[in-house]
Amino acid sequence: MVLVLALGDLHVPHRAPDLPAKFKSMLVPGKIQHIICPGNLCIKEVHDYLKTLCPDLHITRGEYDEESKYPETKTLTIGQFKLGLCHGHQVIPWGDLDSLAMLQRQLDVDILVTGHTHQFTAYKHEGGVVINPGSATGAYSSITYDVNPSFVLMDIDGLRVVVYVYELIDGEVKVDKIDFKKTSSNQSAH
Amino acid sequence: MSVHLKLSHPNRIYRPSELLKGKIIVETQSSISHYGIRITIKGSVNLQVRGGSAGVVESFYGVIKPIPIVKRTVEVKPSGKIGLGTTEIPFSLNLRQEENLERFYETFHGADISIQYLATVDISRGYLHKSLSATTEFIIESDKGDLLQRPISPETVIFYITQDTQRHPLLPELKSGGFRVTGKICTQCSLSSPINGQLTVEASAVPIQSIDIQLFRVESILTGEKIVTETSLIQTTQIADGNVCRNLTMPIYVILPRLLTCPTIFAGPFSIEFKVAIVISFQSELSKLHKKSDSRTPRLWLAMETLPLELVRTM
Amino acid sequence: MEFRPRDYKTEHESHALPRTRADAHPLSPPLPPLTQVNDAVVGGNADFYDPLRGGIDNDAKSTPPDPDNLSETSADQPIKEWTSFRRLLMQRFPVSKMVSLSSMPDVLMRSGKSHDKSSTSMHLEELDDPKKFADEGVKVITWQEYVSRLHELKDEITRSWLADNRVTSLKLSIKVAKLMVDTSVFEFYPTLFVLVTDIMDMLGDLVWKRIKQKAEFTEDGALLCNLAENFDASDICADAKETCYNWFSKIGAVQDLLPRIYLELAILPCRRFLLDQPTDSLKRLVMMTRGLGDPVASAYCRLYMAHCAQKLPSHEIGYLVTCVNDLRVILTQTLATNESNLGNFQNNKKLQISLMEPAIEYIMKCIFIGLSQRRVNEVLSELGLMKNQQNFGTVSCVSLVLHHLLKELPIEVVSSNVVHILHLIEFNNDDSFHQHLNYRLLGFRLYEGKCPVDIVNAVLDKVMQVIGTYKSLDEYLKVIDAYADLIHQNHMDNHLDIILRGILERASNGGVTIDEMSSLQSLLVKFLSHFECLEDVFCLNHFPEILDILHGKSQDVVFLHILNMATRNGRIRDPTRIQLLFEISRTLHDNMEFLNAKNDDSQVAHSVSRFVHMVDYGAEMEHHLAFLVDCRASFGRFNELKETLVHSSNSLAIQSLQCAKKDLSFFKSCVTFSEVTIPSISSQRQFDLFLETAEVAFLGGLVSHVDGLIDSGIICLHILDRVDGFRTSADVEGLVSSIRKLCGFLIMVPGNISLPVTYFPNNLFSLISSQSWFDPKIKTQIFSAILLLLTTLSQKTLPYHANTQIPGNDMLYYGDSSYKQELDSLSKVVLENLVCAVQQEPSQPARGNMALEACNCIASSFMQSNALSSICHTLIGTAKSCLSGQDRCLQSTIQLVNKQSPTLAGAMVSTSV
Repeated sequence: MVLVLALGDLHVPHRAPDLPAKFKSMLVPGKIQHIICPGNLCIKEVHDYLKTLCPDLHITRGEYDEESKYPETKTLTIGQFKLGLCHGHQVIPWGDLDSLAMLQRQLDVDILVTGHTHQFTAYKHEGGVVINPGSATGAYSSITYDVNPSFVLMDIDGLRVVVYVYELIDGEVKVDKIDFKKTSSNQSAH
Repeated sequence: MSVHLKLSHPNRIYRPSELLKGKIIVETQSSISHYGIRITIKGSVNLQVRGGSAGVVESFYGVIKPIPIVKRTVEVKPSGKIGLGTTEIPFSLNLRQEENLERFYETFHGADISIQYLATVDISRGYLHKSLSATTEFIIESDKGDLLQRPISPETVIFYITQDTQRHPLLPELKSGGFRVTGKICTQCSLSSPINGQLTVEASAVPIQSIDIQLFRVESILTGEKIVTETSLIQTTQIADGNVCRNLTMPIYVILPRLLTCPTIFAGPFSIEFKVAIVISFQSELSKLHKKSDSRTPRLWLAMETLPLELVRTM
Repeated sequence: MEFRPRDYKTEHESHALPRTRADAHPLSPPLPPLTQVNDAVVGGNADFYDPLRGGIDNDAKSTPPDPDNLSETSADQPIKEWTSFRRLLMQRFPVSKMVSLSSMPDVLMRSGKSHDKSSTSMHLEELDDPKKFADEGVKVITWQEYVSRLHELKDEITRSWLADNRVTSLKLSIKVAKLMVDTSVFEFYPTLFVLVTDIMDMLGDLVWKRIKQKAEFTEDGALLCNLAENFDASDICADAKETCYNWFSKIGAVQDLLPRIYLELAILPCRRFLLDQPTDSLKRLVMMTRGLGDPVASAYCRLYMAHCAQKLPSHEIGYLVTCVNDLRVILTQTLATNESNLGNFQNNKKLQISLMEPAIEYIMKCIFIGLSQRRVNEVLSELGLMKNQQNFGTVSCVSLVLHHLLKELPIEVVSSNVVHILHLIEFNNDDSFHQHLNYRLLGFRLYEGKCPVDIVNAVLDKVMQVIGTYKSLDEYLKVIDAYADLIHQNHMDNHLDIILRGILERASNGGVTIDEMSSLQSLLVKFLSHFECLEDVFCLNHFPEILDILHGKSQDVVFLHILNMATRNGRIRDPTRIQLLFEISRTLHDNMEFLNAKNDDSQVAHSVSRFVHMVDYGAEMEHHLAFLVDCRASFGRFNELKETLVHSSNSLAIQSLQCAKKDLSFFKSCVTFSEVTIPSISSQRQFDLFLETAEVAFLGGLVSHVDGLIDSGIICLHILDRVDGFRTSADVEGLVSSIRKLCGFLIMVPGNISLPVTYFPNNLFSLISSQSWFDPKIKTQIFSAILLLLTTLSQKTLPYHANTQIPGNDMLYYGDSSYKQELDSLSKVVLENLVCAVQQEPSQPARGNMALEACNCIASSFMQSNALSSICHTLIGTAKSCLSGQDRCLQSTIQLVNKQSPTLAGAMVSTSV
């Protein structure tokens, strides 16, 4: 059982001063084993903060990230799952299922985590699962300024994943979960 | 063709009760025949009187007949042959024989008195050939049995050195400013341990240049009815360099030089004694003009205290 | 060719994973029930939820107590320490070029006559230079010459030793040791000490090895025994003992005191061959050292003693205590005797004492290393500082000695005797060491330990009283600096007022020197670090006035600190505070030309940016925008800041949209502010900022601005070509992603009646095609993006509309066939170029991946047709020829292509490669 925190599009400090206090108080060091962040943090201080939560931190580059050394895409394996990471502003149309599936084929991953739209979404298609944790600060996006802060915590246990969705709605943290299993590998999906 | 002696003790020190052991080492290019190999040991006190002392009549000058201590020869090998190459012939002999209780003075090399022990090997090769021989000195230290019977009680003398204890003229500033150096020093001392003592500069108006412990040897020889005495400085040991702090006690610690000392002896025809002097030199422009010399020539900037020193052999 | 129709809404709905409310989750404070269920099954893995236990485990692993290791390091420690101590010593007293000596020792002459004579025939007494007083007058030698001669001597000593001329080695070593007698060149003495003791140590080692050899082997080389590390004197054979005894006798016969002590110290470890506990020798040597009248020579002799004694097995420290006591007497007498003299002599005395300091420091360290509490008390009473085992008396112990004692005293002892130490400091006010530095040290030590508040109070009251009389700002600051942490820790704010006034008075009286400025800087930084809130700092009396005293570098440091502090905790809303920070930022900005270090600059720029970001005027958005305008005017030199200004004004624009009462003219002002600010930013960042501003403008409905901003964005891509140093691969990748992002944005942007419907895609396409520095890979990526854009634009309903008030192209051109045609014709051209670009790629693997990317893009964009199938097959063929058959992306692409054309069975691509 491994906990993977996925959060992105903080846009600190350009569009938000910091993570919501309610989120910060939940995120304590020692609980999480991996952090994956699709990008737009945007400053080093955020990176350093995430490092304090968990030293195993994976980041891809958003267009406003101060640090230009983050890669455009990244893959990592956790347990029996292969995870892919990409910010998503370069996927056209933004957040489109077919285009994300295309990226997922390129990266050859079971779970693809992207951002940019600042809306939480989780889709399953024949190639695997695509998750967008939304914006952890509720920053305005290219398509809307009505954004609820959200992030995702994945509990990976064997072939099963429980995705917890944390959303800040009207000052309250609402937690939903999504449960899925890896039925078979990509190759035999068809 | 050569011969030499190698003694069993690397430091060549023997006690009279010990066996003198060693090897005769012969190196030769061809085998040689001989009429016996003999070892001779010879010990004696050699005395000479030099005209050092003023007023001594010239007729006294010269070598005085040595006083024998021991002379003995033993045959190591009867006549025979020595093969070519290096041959080692071991030997051993008693230094002291039961019936002959001669006094073995310790080896000593002084200015006028010399007590020396020699071992000589002779390989006689008949009349046609020159006999081969070699001589080596060995050193005698007293036997445990011969040691002083009374226990050596550390006899220390307390001394005070002030401007008033000096019998020679002093610099006026020394005389007026005054100084006081006190301490104690042992005057009976084992040859194997250092001269111990301590010294404190209690006061001195004139800065101190140096404080030295000087060791003197006094050799006396009886010639006729006169005693000729020669005093020589054998070692200087500095214990203070510069104007030391007042009232800090400093140790006197002088290791006795091995070959230059021996137990104090009062024999009939000669005697060997020692003296120790504490010499304080004061800083003065005058002193820079003179070389450092022994304290027997009293100088204006020096203060001293001379004490007899009895040296004894202990365990 | 026909675009593949999409129904985004339905697709998304059908693929979305179902969400349910989660009652428990891993971040809920108590252990979630779900994981508890799992724990029952998984068992031991529950540890994941116990960060504490994990921590302990790690700690245990990282520092395993290894007894072997410990003993090894403790044995090496003194040697290492000595080595670094020697280096520091030489650095502390750098040597001038020339060394003038009162007399030139003949050992330094390169005549070589001293070793012509056969060594064995020489009595050691001959070594005593009869011409000691003969050579008068000052001799001069360069120190390099001196040093190199010493190195030569060291070599000579080794050479003689190896040639069995050990007496020569000894003789030369004595001459070397004798050099330590001459302290006439003060500055050179520490260096000389290091060089000479190095030779002494070497001789000591040689003698040790020789005697050990004699103890372990016979003359013929047969093994007698193996000596253990902690051997007894009884293990040593008579011959070895004799040799050892001889060495001590030979050295004992050296006439001069100083070389005799140095040499005996050098071979001191050899005493162990004769005696198990050579402590008596040490005690005697300490006493003998009293005979050295020169204070400096005697201090260094004791220093060497402390070093040599560490080679002995036992760590008896009584002799060191005597050393300290003696040094104290010497210092007292030195201080007393010189009082009557004037001028030059006084300076000499200062130098003399500073030369002695390292010795006191080192010896003190040696005394207190690993000392038990009981022993500490004994030592203190042996030092005469604890009269009745309980109290430090009011004893004279020389402030220099007191300083180093206070430095080394175990913290518990300091804590439990603070008041007495205070008395000692008060009582010992002499020229050997500045009293205020002892007060300072006490402050640091006090902070180190935990003292009851009443004691701290008492000490502080006393110290405040003492420094109240100080005239010098420097001394005042140095003491305060040490107590600042204590004052804050114990919330003694009553002192702060006095201190700040004290500083102000002294500073306005005599001005502030450079040193004082840096002390003041460190003090203020310390103060600041103790306050949570900047308001509290500014509430302090005199604080603003003290800030005014600051200038130059120190001002920058403190201001930067204040700025960082202000931006640490969220938004800054108070206008006066904003104004103050703005002034501080401006000072930092204006001072920048005096700063050369690049790092500092970027740090300052960063902090000011952070400040600008944190400013929040709330509903007073006009003020906020005015603030941004001021910033742009005032901080022209910070490039980074201009980006911040654009982000901030964009954010402000969005904020205005979120208000109930939308003020479009204000929104417009913000966008315009961004628009005119961007061109002054470095061109690499311009594109993204134009795009962000365009997005914001679009969200607010400013279509005309959007078009202009997109145009500016595309234009700045032209300029980029000419910017040097831009094209690092990361930069290029980022730019390509941003251009693709533009394609994503263009989906929403409605066509302009005055322009062709494919105006922007076409512009972008021509730009990419015409610029030579866009390589085939970039072209493939961007052309694919344009294709996807055109495909999306062709849909009946677009996937997203950012602003419902602006009709998208799906509405504008609903049912317009010419619109479709234009999209069609452009897509044909792009498609051709795309296929072309793939084939231009020289690198095989890259070409394969690009072919797959293009194929994926084409297959998902268009309805299958024969023409398209052949294009796809060609691309797959290219990919096959470049990549391994096992490539997962290749396989999934083949699957996709096959799925998309189920009717064309004959054209099925074989998955077997």
